[in-house]
Amino acid sequence: MNIFVENVIYQYITIMNKFLRITFLSVFFLSCSSDLDFEQVNDLKLEPIAVANLAAFDIKANQFVVGGVEQSLVGDVMDFDVFSDVDFSKNLSRVDLFFEFNNTINRAYNVNFYLLDDNNSKLYTIPFFVPANSGSPIVISKTEIFENTKLDILIKTKKVAFVITMLPGTPLTDASVGNLKMRSSATIYFLGQ
Amino acid sequence: MRKISLFIILISMSCFSQNKQLLYNFTSVPQSMLTNPGSDVNYNWFVGIPLLSGFSANVSSSSFSVYDLFANNGVDFNTKLRNVVFSTSRNDKVTLNEQLEVFSGGFKLGDWQESSYFSFGMYQEMDVLTYMPKDYAILALDGNKDYLGKVFDMGDLNARGELLSVFHLGYHKKVNENLILGVRGKIYSSIFNVSSTKNSGYFYTIQGTNNVYDQVISANGLVNTSGLTNYLENYSGNAQSDIMKKTLLGGNLGLGLDLGFTYYPKENLQFTASLIDIGFIKHTKEIESYRYKGYYNYVGLTPDFVLGNSNDILDEFNDAIPLDTLHTKYTTWRPLKFNSSIQYSFGDGRSSDCNCSGGNKIKYANSVGAQLFAMTTPRTPLMALTAYYRRQIFESLEMKATYTVDSFSAKNIGLGLSTTIGKVNFYILADNLLEYKDISKARSLGFQMGLNIIFPDKNTFD
Repeated sequence: MNIFVENVIYQYITIMNKFLRITFLSVFFLSCSSDLDFEQVNDLKLEPIAVANLAAFDIKANQFVVGGVEQSLVGDVMDFDVFSDVDFSKNLSRVDLFFEFNNTINRAYNVNFYLLDDNNSKLYTIPFFVPANSGSPIVISKTEIFENTKLDILIKTKKVAFVITMLPGTPLTDASVGNLKMRSSATIYFLGQ
Repeated sequence: MRKISLFIILISMSCFSQNKQLLYNFTSVPQSMLTNPGSDVNYNWFVGIPLLSGFSANVSSSSFSVYDLFANNGVDFNTKLRNVVFSTSRNDKVTLNEQLEVFSGGFKLGDWQESSYFSFGMYQEMDVLTYMPKDYAILALDGNKDYLGKVFDMGDLNARGELLSVFHLGYHKKVNENLILGVRGKIYSSIFNVSSTKNSGYFYTIQGTNNVYDQVISANGLVNTSGLTNYLENYSGNAQSDIMKKTLLGGNLGLGLDLGFTYYPKENLQFTASLIDIGFIKHTKEIESYRYKGYYNYVGLTPDFVLGNSNDILDEFNDAIPLDTLHTKYTTWRPLKFNSSIQYSFGDGRSSDCNCSGGNKIKYANSVGAQLFAMTTPRTPLMALTAYYRRQIFESLEMKATYTVDSFSAKNIGLGLSTTIGKVNFYILADNLLEYKDISKARSLGFQMGLNIIFPDKNTFD
């Protein structure tokens, strides 16, 4: 469009806008309003609490036997870069990790849950002792709370690992029954300001 | 997170209804033809003062007011926000509609014996309608911890917003003494559009057995945008000039039609009805849409002690419910408005020096009537019922008072004045007058005004 015409139109729009605004505002000034404070938006605090699964496994007794030989040490390392996400971590105020073991195998276990960084270096260990089952089911649970400086450990975590050590006892065979079950969850406290 | 949440919460608060109960059938104002192309409006010719001939703004919220949130009353803002969120339902809405007539005019066709009229013009319109995204707000405020077993409805996100310009050309004709028919064609040029009105899906968390929780998210969400892509990334152009071009038919184009009639079964009894904005816009330029679709049953990490093939939960999630950016053309339908009225007129309005040149409107000083308004929305239509009284106070001053019941208010009293001094017509219409004693507590406000130059119709030979 021709620059001159465009300029003339803008000028006209500007003047008319002023006129409209003055008329519009004068109508509103004629009315009354309670005292309002829009700055209150700055006080907004969002503190939702989310719950989610963390991990779960179910190992049958005979899975500890490979080729007729008992495996007393098993483990797995997994990628876990949820809390290290910057947008996510800056709004964290506390994380509770809950674990529950259910053992129906007649052997005791030491289970370690490791928080690892990118180079697989240990940042934190949560140890569990799961006694052998000798009739009544064994349920072990533990909640680990991460807040303040301890939360930084979680934020640095890139990987996690479970390492299970089976303690000496009646040898397991391919025919052994029972399971070592674990389930866990996270309760995440956000603080958005 | 905070900014996004606040945006979601705030956008859910602005609701404008499009009911123009004061302007409808207020035939001394030429702009009433925009609410019914078959209005009984007579003129030899008229022209609207550019940018001042028609301005209307209306904002409504069906469940809360500005005061509820921002009152300076010592109550913590977060408490007020919670009260507002938990007192609303997913069907509560906020609407905003603003129209500014850029130019308008009209003329009578043929000589004094003819009674057919052309009218034309261009206006700019902004239209926003959003429902309360209640379940999203609960998740943002509280999270899911205390809501085990609740199914969060992803369909709660339902909003549309648009800025467009409309070029229109209308024609109405007095077919006989009792019937006036009118039609108006429209070309829409959409400057920008955002619409997300067909979302579905759910999210729930319940106690599990093998896992601590059974957590399922099923999503089918789509947000369409047009006319915004240039501004989302590094933008180097001139926005003002861009908007000007899009206003002048350079945007995404659409077509529309208005239909209407006025019928007098008896001289003092009048029926009117109209359908406004039977039309669509095809979005083909600067489109960017975001689709979020899939199903994910989240079990957490599942270590594999035998083979070491454990899962990566982030990859799993992104694979199950991918966020796709699309550039597919889409069509939006304009909100269709239906108006109708019945009016009974009485009282002799002729002054002693009457030149008796007008039609029905001068003959009777008083009219009472009722109007029904309906508008399509992404969910149930908006409805409003209005009772009104019109009076010709002087030959140059006409008044209309309305009482309207709708989903925003049950005591909406409005008043409109139209004065024609010489050839200059000025009108001002405002509704929800009771709310002006404290507008911060108002849930709905509507306001219209304008300035025209009208050369009255002559139905006698000079």
